[in-house]
Amino acid sequence: MTWLVWRQHRNQVYIAAAALAVFAALLLVTGLQIAGQYRSARAACAASHSCTNLASNLTLGSPLLSLLVTLTVVVPCLLGVFWGGPLVARELETGTNQFAWMQGVSRRRWLAVKVGWVLLAAAAWAGAVSALVTWWSSPANALNQQNFQPGQFDIQGIVPVGYALFAVALGIAAGALIRRTVPAMAVTVAVFTFLRLVIGQDLRSHYLAAVTIIGRFGQHARTPTGSYWLISRGLVGRDGQLLSAPPLESGLSVNGVPVSEMPAACRPLALQNPVKMLSCLTEHGYRGFFTSYQPAGRYWAFQGIETGIYLLIAAALIAVTAIVVLRRDA
Amino acid sequence: MMASSDVLAVQTRGLTKRYRRVTALRGASITVPEGRISALIGPNGAGKTTLLRLLAGLARPGSGDVEVLGGRPAQHPSFLANVGFLAQEIPLYRRFTVGEHVAAGAHLNSRWDGAYVRQRLASLDIPLGQRVGALSGGQRAQLALSLTLAKRPRLLLLDEPVAALDPLARRHFLAQLAEAVADGGLTVVLSSHLLADLEQTCDHLILLAAASVQLCGDIDTLLAEHQVLIGPRKDTTAIERDHTLVHAVRTARQTTLLIRRSGPVIDPAFEAADVGLEELVLGYMSQPAGPRPGRLTTIGEQQ
Amino acid sequence: MINFRLDGRSVVPTYLQIVQQVRQALRMGVLDVGDKLPTVREVVAATAVNPNTVLKAYRDLEREGLVEPRAGHGTFVVGRPSGPPPGTHARLARSLAQWVHGAREAGLDDESIESLLRITLRAAAEEETA
Repeated sequence: MTWLVWRQHRNQVYIAAAALAVFAALLLVTGLQIAGQYRSARAACAASHSCTNLASNLTLGSPLLSLLVTLTVVVPCLLGVFWGGPLVARELETGTNQFAWMQGVSRRRWLAVKVGWVLLAAAAWAGAVSALVTWWSSPANALNQQNFQPGQFDIQGIVPVGYALFAVALGIAAGALIRRTVPAMAVTVAVFTFLRLVIGQDLRSHYLAAVTIIGRFGQHARTPTGSYWLISRGLVGRDGQLLSAPPLESGLSVNGVPVSEMPAACRPLALQNPVKMLSCLTEHGYRGFFTSYQPAGRYWAFQGIETGIYLLIAAALIAVTAIVVLRRDA
Repeated sequence: MMASSDVLAVQTRGLTKRYRRVTALRGASITVPEGRISALIGPNGAGKTTLLRLLAGLARPGSGDVEVLGGRPAQHPSFLANVGFLAQEIPLYRRFTVGEHVAAGAHLNSRWDGAYVRQRLASLDIPLGQRVGALSGGQRAQLALSLTLAKRPRLLLLDEPVAALDPLARRHFLAQLAEAVADGGLTVVLSSHLLADLEQTCDHLILLAAASVQLCGDIDTLLAEHQVLIGPRKDTTAIERDHTLVHAVRTARQTTLLIRRSGPVIDPAFEAADVGLEELVLGYMSQPAGPRPGRLTTIGEQQ
Repeated sequence: MINFRLDGRSVVPTYLQIVQQVRQALRMGVLDVGDKLPTVREVVAATAVNPNTVLKAYRDLEREGLVEPRAGHGTFVVGRPSGPPPGTHARLARSLAQWVHGAREAGLDDESIESLLRITLRAAAEEETA
């Protein structure tokens, strides 16, 4: 069976290997340059004691290259479309499954070997890309401390492997259900994109309860350190309730609280006299500011949880595929 | 190849298969003894493909029983090793070469006669290095048959295998098939919508029309059981009571009856004649749908 | 070794065609005692007829005492059909050809020759039964 799978898909493997080799060469060369650039900038700022502003003054690598690396976010989807979608659908479409299923190999084994190899290949390929990107981005991670940002979190660490396995399983299942290659590919793109957006935007921040720091007015507030993930900031109300505005709210804000959200009487004081503003807020019943965040130390826990979620979905999709292929008429 | 042997390679009872709202096969009960080459004949859409796919285990019966080589069709190596199936569209991997198909067969089957298939392909002038996409229809059919035979199956199910072949390739294909049966231990069921294609090669017949089995049995026996009666235009109720009327043609003066005999025909007004296979098949096919023996058909009513 | 010419459209069943052609070959001297018939496999590969049909024909010939299967070796001719010795046919065929030639010279066309032959055969048959 393995021989058949290899013969059927070896061209895809060659193309993928060639693409990976080019990508690896590019990232290795530029990655070493960037690491050097960061090291010397670090040394220079340490000498002049100006390292606090380094992030805003230093641009690592070229924008084009950063764009290319950011674009690796589509790798899992591509694997799902081009490796997962056709795996079963093309055989059903051309009838070659009838050839394979009447050889001396059970349908179960046929499916297991095909699916096993393509999942393994997808995990290896996505893992290799992710490892390169993670290494390449390490100076930028150290500099910008934004590991939790979607553009970073989604292409580094182990989540790309989870996405890739999910995408490929989705492609296989869509192909087995729809039995046509091109529609299966389209469904793969649509469902993958939808689920990634929903989980990334609505679910991810709830994996673990956020840590909340409350600072009373006038006290020196602790601030989170490292590449933490800011969830929300705002005012603490009379009864200790947290009153937050969306963190991306535009306009002038004080400690994350938009001025527009403050009582009208306190608004003019925001710029003129912060101390008076605080007492104004206290008079209106507010007790302090709060910061809600996921600490930097939870990065790998989040990576693990998200990967686990996608692996579970992938497993369910493979189970659906198995039921469809084994139960349905050829 | 024992003609007298009564071990059954295929037996179905009340086999029914529905696809959504269409009934592809209704209550089909057939038997094919071992060593036969059975012609599965019927118009397009009569359920031939469905029956073959049920026997191959590629489809599951809606209701009824299937027994193939003493067991139920299963997605299991022990069943698959003994059963070969050739779909009508002859699905092969277009991008594979002939040799790669042979290699695939060797990898996928525990019992595989690689020398046999190579020798067969050589005698058919099909080069191993040729891509399957570049082969002619006849060559593809021959390749697929060779690959299936290399499994050394005990039952071979072929769906319209000669439909795409020119007369020479057709004869060659059937000769190869008959030769494989002559080697022993092989039973074949092959479908066609044309009887003439298969008449000489087959010794067993399954006739399907409108999703139902009309006839099933050894051709010699079927021919012996049926008779054509030719006589004057007269009341035939007595004959219809004693025998099963399959088909009747009545003109102003003459009556021609195709009957399934239950004993000798004693009406002296009628001349009895042996029936030919084609006549028999046509007689059953022009029945109204469903196996309804005794139903009268009147054709060619003339005054 | 003989070749069978089997016609699927003939009213004569295929197995009977085989039987008749073997008998004919024996009468004409094409086959003789000790000769081997083609194997079932060989006949089938050449003609695409059903192997059981060939087997049935060979069994009929065996029952008539004309052939005998020898395990592992094939089917061999062991007897001749009753009738004149081989060669008689060929001799008679030659004299018939001469007669036909004469009839043509006398102005008879093929249809007339055939009907003359039929009438003669019938008359001979009636004479025998009388």
